Amino acid sequence: MEDDLISKKQLLDLTGISYGQLYRWKRKQLIPEEWFIRKSTFTGQETFFPKEMILSRIHNIVNMKDGLSLDEMADKLSDKASFEKVSVTAKEIIERNIVSTTTLRKFGESLGDESKYTFEELVHLFAVDRLLSAGEMSMEEAELLFRTLQEKVSRLESGSWELFFVRKMGVSSFILAQAPAELWFDEGVRLVSKMTYSDLIEQLKGKLAYKLVE
Amino acid sequence: MDKHQLPDLIINGVSGGAGGTYNNVNMDGVGKVVGPIVARMFKGNGHMNLNDDLAAEEAECNGVIKVMGNMRFGTLKVDGVLNVGKSFRGESCTLNGMVSVKGDCELEDFVGEGSFSVGGLLSAGHVDFKLQSQGKANEIGVESLVIRQVNNGFWSKMFSGIIPKLRPELCARTIEGDFIDVEYTTADIIRGNIVIIGPGCTLGRVEYREQITVHPEAKVGKVEKAL
Repeated sequence: MEDDLISKKQLLDLTGISYGQLYRWKRKQLIPEEWFIRKSTFTGQETFFPKEMILSRIHNIVNMKDGLSLDEMADKLSDKASFEKVSVTAKEIIERNIVSTTTLRKFGESLGDESKYTFEELVHLFAVDRLLSAGEMSMEEAELLFRTLQEKVSRLESGSWELFFVRKMGVSSFILAQAPAELWFDEGVRLVSKMTYSDLIEQLKGKLAYKLVE
Repeated sequence: MDKHQLPDLIINGVSGGAGGTYNNVNMDGVGKVVGPIVARMFKGNGHMNLNDDLAAEEAECNGVIKVMGNMRFGTLKVDGVLNVGKSFRGESCTLNGMVSVKGDCELEDFVGEGSFSVGGLLSAGHVDFKLQSQGKANEIGVESLVIRQVNNGFWSKMFSGIIPKLRPELCARTIEGDFIDVEYTTADIIRGNIVIIGPGCTLGRVEYREQITVHPEAKVGKVEKAL
């Protein structure tokens, strides 16, 4: 858990934004209140953020900033529905480098339709692609993962899930759980990767932001 | 906003009312409202108690107003005392008197004279405040902060010695912002791009990025340049 957080100071150093901007975006509700996590450290209390989410959110804000006012952006970013309506063509996916060509060629066709992808399908492709391109998963495993996501995700109620990819003695399996989930494994199990739905869509939102700005 | 005409709520003398959506809310005297109020224009004179939320595009508070719930507004003018039980959010607030907020306070512009107390985070675009007695916040995060002490007269000088709450100073745990210009401030940490520390400050640590000025009469534990 610890390494998933980033302190306010690190965040500002990393992104180059100022305190004023950060607080301003918070006031405009571009950054949700829940992301400000207070923790006590040896120098007193400090504020931390969920690392991946805040970094991609700030990236989104900075990239969207030119065309939109802060209020318009707040609407767009908080509005999940507008992203869910987005559909992307195969060509755009490659051009924008959302998902790698290999992944798309392998799994895109099984989706069957005339190379237009919905947001939900894109999330699945994106998840698979992330693990594949990180070199953590073989092609066969990728197929299994993709099938699992497609079949099982719709059964989860809230639509937010976490995915655990574990390996034990060379045998791999995927565990899909309702977020927030905490799992404990026996000693022989190695947790290869953990992904959360909210992280994934946050990153995808960044890549798809151009769709909404136009 | 919808087109059809909304009703007005008018209270005169000693009376009460119910919450709801109104066009104008005018309250004079002593009054109590049960339920949340949404209004285009809110005016309170005298002693008013609202036991729930208040949302208004324009608000004016004269006298002693108490809002137990959250308060939302476009512009607000306070002459007197305003108490808010939960959070306080709006565009601009002009204060002449006292505001006390239990929760967070989020404003674009906060201008005024008097005193304030915020239980949570005071987050604002611009704060320009003249302290007549204590200003207090747990945490302050701003774009620009200017705090000045009003030239206090004989009586307030005398009383401030007896009652510490009347001493005109700003107390906060941390202050973060792009531009910070303070005097008579007590804080653990100040972090900012441009920091100007005036007389009468007692600070634990100051971190700055671009520029710093420290008045010789200020007590500062440690000054650090952040990279």
